[in-house]
Amino acid sequence: MKRLLTATALLLATTGLARAEGVLNLYNWGNYTSPELLAKFEAETGIKVTVTDYDSNDVALAKIEAGGHGFDLVVPSANYVPIWVEKGLIQQLDLARLPNHANIAPEWRDVSWDPGRAHTIPWQWGSTGVAVNTSVYTGNINTSAIFLEVPEELKGKINVVPEMNDIVNLAVMYAGGEPCSEDTAVLQKARDLLLAAKPDWISMDYGATERLSNNDWAASVNWNGSTMRARLANPPVAYGYPQEGYPLFMDSVALLSDAQNVDAAYKFLDFIMVPENAAMISAFARYANGIAGSEPFMPEDMKTAPEVVIPAEFAAAGVFLPTCTGKSQEYITAIWTELQK
Amino acid sequence: MADRAFSATRLPGFATIAIGAFVLLYLPIITLVTYSFNATNSISEWGGFSWQWYIKAWDNDAVKAATANSLIIAVSAAAIATAVATAAALGTTRRKAYRGQTFIYVVINQPLMVPEIVTAVALLIVFGVVKEWSGYQGLGYLILAHAAFCTPFAYLPIRARLEGMDLSLETAASDLYASPWQTFRHVTLPLLAPGIMAGAMLAFVISLDDVVITEFVKSGGQDTLSTYMLGQLRRAFTPEVNAISTALLAATVLLLIAFFLLTRKRD
Repeated sequence: MKRLLTATALLLATTGLARAEGVLNLYNWGNYTSPELLAKFEAETGIKVTVTDYDSNDVALAKIEAGGHGFDLVVPSANYVPIWVEKGLIQQLDLARLPNHANIAPEWRDVSWDPGRAHTIPWQWGSTGVAVNTSVYTGNINTSAIFLEVPEELKGKINVVPEMNDIVNLAVMYAGGEPCSEDTAVLQKARDLLLAAKPDWISMDYGATERLSNNDWAASVNWNGSTMRARLANPPVAYGYPQEGYPLFMDSVALLSDAQNVDAAYKFLDFIMVPENAAMISAFARYANGIAGSEPFMPEDMKTAPEVVIPAEFAAAGVFLPTCTGKSQEYITAIWTELQK
Repeated sequence: MADRAFSATRLPGFATIAIGAFVLLYLPIITLVTYSFNATNSISEWGGFSWQWYIKAWDNDAVKAATANSLIIAVSAAAIATAVATAAALGTTRRKAYRGQTFIYVVINQPLMVPEIVTAVALLIVFGVVKEWSGYQGLGYLILAHAAFCTPFAYLPIRARLEGMDLSLETAASDLYASPWQTFRHVTLPLLAPGIMAGAMLAFVISLDDVVITEFVKSGGQDTLSTYMLGQLRRAFTPEVNAISTALLAATVLLLIAFFLLTRKRD
C-alpha cells in the first residue's frame, strides 16, 4: 500500500512538471486556429502549442472559473471581455513585453470593451448583416428592411438566424434606437416590425452557407464569413451592411490570471500581431483580423472580398453590441419570446 | 391452436410501422455516410464520389490526437467500469437478499437517472478544486469520470447473465469441495464471460460517445473525438466531420460483429 502511495505521489509530481518551458495551452473556439500558424510558432520559438476547443462563451467562462483548468490563453467574444476582467480571470498585459502591440489597427486599439487594449489582443472579427441573392432581388440590400419590411420578391424566401441579441438589436436600430435601448416607444416599434415581418420569413434557422449556396433560400440574416463562402459557391449572393446599424463581433486573446506558461504566452501574443501571422489566422478561419498591414499577406479571394473589407460608406454603421443588462435585456427577451410564438 | 397464439407480427399495420421506424432510425445515418464520400465541401449537395475527406481527416493532427484520447479514455474507463460492475453484480446476486439491496441497486445505477449536465457541473467544480490542490491535470480525471457513468451500462448485462445462470452448477462445485475462489474461477467466471464482454463493449461505446461530461472535465489538450466534432459547430461543417463519424460508426459496428461472433459459439 505504501509503495502504491509513493508511486502515485511520484506520478502526480512528474505529470505536474510536464507544464515546463516550451509548452503553451490555448483554449479557443473549435476550428478557429490555423495549424500552419502553430507550426510556424513552434519552428520559431520551440514552444509547442496545445489547442483545446470550446463552443460557447459560457462553457469557457464556467470552466476557467472552476479553476485547475491548466490553460494559459483564452479567446472570449467582445461582450464577454468585461465579465472576464471584472471577475479577475484575465490579467492586465505588460505592454513592454509586446513590441508588436503597435501593429494593432487604430480602429481596433481603443475599443469600448477594452480601452487601450490593456487586456486583449485581436484574434478575428466580423459582422452580422443580410445576405441576398441578387438574381432574385435587385433593389438596395444595405438595409434591415430586407428582413423587417420584406420586399415582394423575397417574401417566403428569406431566413432569419435565431440569434436573439443580434436580431432584436437590428430591429431596434432600424426603429431609430440604440442597442440595449430602454426607450419603450422604440422597443414597441421594433417589436411591431418583427411581428409584422415574421409571416414573410421562410424559417428561423442556422446553416445559411449551405442553403444560400444551393438556392434553398434567396436571402438570410447572416454573418459575413458565412456569406463569403456562400458567394464563392453561388456568385449572385451578395452581402448587405444595414445602413441603420448592424452588429460587429470580435474575439480577442486574453492571458489568464492563473496561466502557468506566462513567458510562452507573451511570445505567442506578440507573434500573432505580426501582420504575416495575423493573415495566416484569417486565411484559415476566413474572418478579418485586427492587425494593420496584414492585407498584403491575405489570400487573394479575401483581399478584395466585400464581405471582409467593409466599404467605407458603411463602416460607421457597425456597432459592437454591449452586454445589455437589467431592463433592456428583459425587454429583448420578452420581444424574442413573443416572436417565437 | 398454435395459429391463435398472440403474435405482434400479425397486428394490422405492423409492417408499415416497422418499416417507418427503421427508415426514421437509419435514414439520417445513411445520409451522413453518403455525404462523407462527397467530392465537394457540401453536406447537402452531391458533387461526385471521392475519398478526399477521409484522407483529410487522416492527415489532420487534431483528429489524430483526439482519436488517441478517445481510445485511451474509452479502454481504461471500460476496464475499470467492467471490473467494478462485475464485483457489484456478484455482490447483488450471489448472496441472500439483505436490507438495503434496492438502495445499493439505485446507487449503482445513479448515472442512468441523474441528468448528465448535473453530473458534469458537479465534476467540474470538484475536479477544479482537486486539480488546483494536486497540480495533476492528466487524463486521469476523464478516465475516472467515464468509468463512473459507464459502470451501470456494464452492470446491467452482467447482472442479467448472472441471474439467468443455473445456480446448481455452482452448488455442485462447492459440494465437490471446490473452494469459493475455485468455484468462481472455474465455474462462475467462464459462464459469466459473455456477460462481462457485453458489459465491457457497452461501456466502451458509451465512453466513446460522451460529450457533455467530457466537455466540462477536460483540461488542456484533452479533446476527444466527440468534443472535437462539437467544436466544429462554430464554422460551417464540411464532410470531414461526416468522414470521422463514419469511421467511428464502422469501428462500432466491427466491434459489435466481433462480439456477436464471440458469444454465439459459447451459447
